[in-house]
Amino acid sequence: MKVQVKNLRKEFGKTVAVDDITFSFDSGHVFGFVGPNGAGKTTTMRIIATIEEPTQGDILLNGISVCEEPELARRAVGYVPDTLPAHADITVHEYLDFYARAYGLRGKKRTQAIEAIEEFTNVTGIREKHLKALSKGMKQRVSLGRALVYDPDVLILDEPAAGLDPRARVELRELLMLLAERKKAILISSHILTELTEICNGVVIIERGKILETGTIDDVLKKSAPRRTVAIRLLEGNHHQNPQLLKELLQTPFVVNARDVANEIHFELTGDESAACDILGGLIAKRYKIIEFRQTKANLEDIFMNVTKGGV
Amino acid sequence: MSRASIKSHFTNWREWELNPIVIKELRQAVRSWAVTGMLLLFLTVLFITSLIFLVGQSFEVSENIQLGGSMFSAFVVILAGASIFFIPLYVGVRVAAERQENNPDLLYVSSLSPFRIVLGKFLCGAYMAVLFFSACMPFMAFTNLLRGVDLPTVFLVLALLFLVVCAANMVAIFLACLPMSRPFKYLFVIYGIFQSFGIISTLIGTSFLMMRSGVGAMMTGKDFWIGVATGVGVGAALTGLLFVLTVALVSPPSANRALPVRIYLTASWLAGGLLGFSWVAQTGDASRMLAWTYPTFGVMMFALLATVSNADQLSQRVRRTIPHARWKRALAFVFYNGAAGGLIWVAGILVATFLITDEVVTAFPKSYATTAANEHWFATTTAYAFAYALSALIIHRRFLSRRPPKLAGLLTVLLAGAWAIVPSIGLFFLNQLSWKSVEGLQLGNVFNVAFLRDDGQLLYHLYFAFSWLLVMLVINAGWFMRQVRIFQPPVPVPVENAPPAPK
Ligand SMILES: Nc1ncnc2c1ncn2[C@@H]1O[C@H](COP(=O)(O)OP(=O)(O)OP(=O)(O)O)[C@@H](O)[C@H]1O
Ligand SMILES: [Mg+2]
Repeated sequence: MKVQVKNLRKEFGKTVAVDDITFSFDSGHVFGFVGPNGAGKTTTMRIIATIEEPTQGDILLNGISVCEEPELARRAVGYVPDTLPAHADITVHEYLDFYARAYGLRGKKRTQAIEAIEEFTNVTGIREKHLKALSKGMKQRVSLGRALVYDPDVLILDEPAAGLDPRARVELRELLMLLAERKKAILISSHILTELTEICNGVVIIERGKILETGTIDDVLKKSAPRRTVAIRLLEGNHHQNPQLLKELLQTPFVVNARDVANEIHFELTGDESAACDILGGLIAKRYKIIEFRQTKANLEDIFMNVTKGGV
Repeated sequence: MSRASIKSHFTNWREWELNPIVIKELRQAVRSWAVTGMLLLFLTVLFITSLIFLVGQSFEVSENIQLGGSMFSAFVVILAGASIFFIPLYVGVRVAAERQENNPDLLYVSSLSPFRIVLGKFLCGAYMAVLFFSACMPFMAFTNLLRGVDLPTVFLVLALLFLVVCAANMVAIFLACLPMSRPFKYLFVIYGIFQSFGIISTLIGTSFLMMRSGVGAMMTGKDFWIGVATGVGVGAALTGLLFVLTVALVSPPSANRALPVRIYLTASWLAGGLLGFSWVAQTGDASRMLAWTYPTFGVMMFALLATVSNADQLSQRVRRTIPHARWKRALAFVFYNGAAGGLIWVAGILVATFLITDEVVTAFPKSYATTAANEHWFATTTAYAFAYALSALIIHRRFLSRRPPKLAGLLTVLLAGAWAIVPSIGLFFLNQLSWKSVEGLQLGNVFNVAFLRDDGQLLYHLYFAFSWLLVMLVINAGWFMRQVRIFQPPVPVPVENAPPAPK
């Protein structure tokens, strides 16, 4: 299932929540959807889930438009909202049962599907609890279970990790990998970027309704962080040499933006790895007592800080 | 559905399942404090009432032979009060809560069709009514042991009350689905509560009448059943209309929302016409036909407003269903979404109604004197309505086309209202306002048609309205022809090559 977001725009009165965004992802992809608060992530996801209608543009799920055929699109999309309605009068099991029925699962098939999902999302122990009585993380699981119960091809998860305990987070991660293996197309928004880096193979960065970066993680990393950062630490007690080292480095070719970060010298390397080797050799020849010389790989967080400007 | 699929539907009865919404709603209702509390209160009131009756009776010297009857009446009052106030309110509030936009629940994130969603809500209301009625049953059965009440009456009264509760539920569901802000909905709730007082007192009046005159005797008469059937039929038709409208409201905007509503209205219009005509044919009294003419007129005025509020742009989804054959396409144009086709539809029904009524009146002239004035009234008002609507339409399409098409409907009302009020306000400030001026000729004011004293002057209205309409028809002709021209199935586009993978 291919999800194509095309020139999507959504206005709420005078606020432009989503401003002409275009991106796409496919089966087996896990796409991270990141951006500062109020960037328009929830709005976009709600439009994909056919809850909201775009002011302009469209979203195609294997060619099915969410505006034209919302009923068909709904069958293909599982949406995990950031909040679950707090009904006081329905239990977890009944809630899942209702959705399974609503999506046309019948008889034994339904019972099996619900049981499998309850096990999968680990809510078997709380299935007789009322929705209102659930903790945040439990709700998150039920919400996920609801979206999975009819086995949709596209999963839209709005901050699913928020409020989950560490173990549940790891479980969620494994679960998403498993779903990606089963050829689901997954879009997941989160503010915990380190976590996204581990599971996502693509990313969409959005700010104030506009897309800043999109593509596979590797591409984005290459594009927005073409230089690798190198950190040098001198042996304890030799830190007085830091200013001197800094001056030295600034005169070395392939080095830019050298700076002192908490008694470490960081610089950006414009050349390739052999250039790094030469630099290290040169420094050792000049008798700097180097205990650590490491390349730090840019991660999603760096890119995020680089491309977004901040401010809501 | 093909015959085979119908057959397999019935042979697989073991796999039939209730509408999921009914199951969910009933589960929630059973747990809800509102329902349980109301049911307990209801039972308590019933119990206390019967105690009061029985204790009161034991102090009487002479035996009250009507005791059963009066007790039954009291129970009907309580049942009517509980079910007409409470059940629609409960059902309506629940639907309204689900319609709230920040609730991604039921109405949106499920693949249930709008029809099944509305049906589920409706059935749930009906089951709740059954719950209340059966709670009341033992008490009612008890009155049957006393004297003064006959079983047929009991069943008839209860059946009618049940239907009224179902209709009230439908009204509540419809209101809850209307795209209105909350304050408006509260206003409607308050209005509904007052309205239910009216319904309840009418019901009780009727049931008392039935009790006293012994329906058992009446039931043998044919007229009685015709009366009951007519009442139920009209109620069912209106409830059905609300049902269809609610389904349209819940459907996504890209759906062909107008189609089921227009088909339903056309079908009930035809059925009503046939019934009206058979009534005329039996009694020979042509004025009976008006029982069909006037309601048609009223409903069509609302339909006209809804129609001009339609957008011109058809969604791809609707366009894909436009038939290729010429005459089929013409029919689809009239019944599908879109203001232009809708205007043809409303006009067609109104003109046909007018002509049929006219024919019937000439064929059965007995006891029908005021024909000419009535007909003028009908034609004039219709012409005015269309003139307003077309004026609003052209204003919207020319100057406000970026605004939502609903505005055209609003403009129609504003135009009619302004034309009626502004001259009077002007006269008021000139100190010339009087009954005479209101009853005098005010061309362009549609309400003036009803107030006008002099029937002769009605003709001026007729001419004025039709000339205005004619002008508007000419002005709108270009727009209309464009709509006809673009009403085509989409040209199949060659399948795109696979779009490039994400960069
Ligand atoms: N129903 C609404 N009415 C008016 N404005 C809205 C509505 N929903 C969202 N917005 C506005 O749209 C913009 C985007 O909101 P959205 O909820 O999509 O952000 P988000 O990226 O999900 O933020 P967060 O990270 O805080 O969840 C915001 O400026 C918000 O104020
Ligand atoms: Mg959000």
